[in-house]
Amino acid sequence: MLDLFLVELWRSLLMLRRYPLELLGAVVTLSLIFYLLFLGARFLAGPGAEFGGKLEAVLVGYLLWTFTLGAYNGLAFGLTEEAQTGTLEQVFLTPYGPIPLFLVRNLAELLGHALLVLLVALCLMPLTGAKLAFPPLVILPFLAVLLGGYGLGFAVGSLALLYKRVGQLLGLSQFLLLFLLQAPGEGLFALLPLTPGAALAREMMAEGAPLRPWALLLACLNGGAYLGLGLILFAQAVRRAKATGLLHGY
Amino acid sequence: MEPLLVAQGLAKRFGTLEAVRGVSLALCPGEILAFLGKNGAGKTTTVKMLSGLLLPDGGSVRLLGQDPFRNPGALRHLGAVLEGNRNTYWRLTPLENLVYFGVARGLRLFQARRRAMVLLEEYGLLEKAHTEVRHLSRGMQQKLALLQALVHDPEVLLLDEPTLGLDVETALRVQEKVRALAQGGKAILLTTHQMEVAEALAHRIAIIHRGRIVLEGTKGEILARFAGNHYVLELETPPPQEVLSRLRALGVEGEGPFLYRGDGEGLWRVLEALKPLPLKRVARAEADLLEVFLKVVEHA
Ligand SMILES: Nc1ncnc2c1ncn2[C@@H]1O[C@H](COP(=O)(O)OP(=O)(O)OP(=O)(O)O)[C@@H](O)[C@H]1O
Ligand SMILES: [Mg+2]
Repeated sequence: MLDLFLVELWRSLLMLRRYPLELLGAVVTLSLIFYLLFLGARFLAGPGAEFGGKLEAVLVGYLLWTFTLGAYNGLAFGLTEEAQTGTLEQVFLTPYGPIPLFLVRNLAELLGHALLVLLVALCLMPLTGAKLAFPPLVILPFLAVLLGGYGLGFAVGSLALLYKRVGQLLGLSQFLLLFLLQAPGEGLFALLPLTPGAALAREMMAEGAPLRPWALLLACLNGGAYLGLGLILFAQAVRRAKATGLLHGY
Repeated sequence: MEPLLVAQGLAKRFGTLEAVRGVSLALCPGEILAFLGKNGAGKTTTVKMLSGLLLPDGGSVRLLGQDPFRNPGALRHLGAVLEGNRNTYWRLTPLENLVYFGVARGLRLFQARRRAMVLLEEYGLLEKAHTEVRHLSRGMQQKLALLQALVHDPEVLLLDEPTLGLDVETALRVQEKVRALAQGGKAILLTTHQMEVAEALAHRIAIIHRGRIVLEGTKGEILARFAGNHYVLELETPPPQEVLSRLRALGVEGEGPFLYRGDGEGLWRVLEALKPLPLKRVARAEADLLEVFLKVVEHA
């Protein structure tokens, strides 16, 4: 398993090195989207408007979104692409089984996603003048959010495996994700995927609040539950795909 | 010898189409089974069921005694070149592909690397080891697909049209390699539309038609069975008219090389009729696989 992780990590780093423009493109696009929204909001609010702590909170939500995005749609994109190019069946021939392999692959791609978020943060902080705190402990709610993101990723991955063309759905649902990451983390909202962890991270980074252990526990339970759900769905989808011969392109 | 791969009564339907109906196969070490059939006969469907990629509606697959659907660990012993697939990552180099797939198939990282270098060297791809696969020629890509199936040194190989799109020389070289792999003890299933490739390599032959196996046996047995009692005769010079008419009376056909359909006893009568004309060749006619294939598939 360790070797599998290392080789997946190596592969994802190779891709980053060989196709750096893809990362750069993502950084520019993601930074630009937020910056334009920011400019638009400032224009509407009139000159000299102050957003107070709101700007920071929104930016943290946005960064979390870019972070979760990779976990959310990475698997579905990967499956679609590999089914089309015809490597998916070879990947399924692994003795580790497809689910452990994709879990390990997700984990290995984390580094690339973290790099992306960091670069977007470094672009947007000076551009918008937002001041973010990076307490090391904030990594914990990030991870909780990530678990849920992977869970949702396995769920849409199931759709990708069975229905192939999920590009549209992915595009639209990404904005749903944005909503989840900006929603309050209390009450019924805490049952939605991602929300409790996102709310906690927002508190910590935008307001400099300390880590609340109970909130973290809730966030982890939430993330773990959605990950479990996603994996169950994915296992079903793999079975369906194997039964109907959907592992390849047509 | 114990078969390494056993399939029993495999069946698969797609909607109303019964693509595979009750296919049973066994692959023993050191043996090449040529799996032949027309387009759409069910070869690829069978191969995918054997490799755990397609769940059969009925029947079972045992790979070294294990069910690859229940226990993916069994796939450690299987390598496959799948038809119509690229089989490798286009944005990686051959070396990277082999290392990646080696580890994904259960090797340790250092083992995969060592094995990759050995294979690239052996198959003459070393100088392209660091070129992205998308920049390789089609033949090289196909060769790499084979290496990808070999990287973890599996006991069982499923090769679905491995020589598709290769030039004559490369195809021959791949043929040699496949033969050598079998001599080294691997159990190999090979599908191909090139009958001469199948005839050159196969120890056993199975012909599938509309999802059913219609003929199975060792190559020698099948060719002999279809050859029947036919003899080919050649003379140094064309026979005079009266000899020719005697031959015709005995039922000899043909002009240049003559064909006699009859038993050994009848053959002596033919030879008697030819005496004392100089003979160039007398031989029992051999069926070739193409002939067998066409006959079987027509009559099925
Ligand atoms: N995933 C699928 N969904 C629906 N039908 C399928 C699927 N895969 C194969 N078939 C059908 O099953 C039949 C057998 O196909 P298969 O690919 O096994 O043939 P084959 O013997 O490999 O042919 P070829 O020589 O052309 O490769 C064909 O009629 C094909 O259209
Ligand atoms: Mg086929």
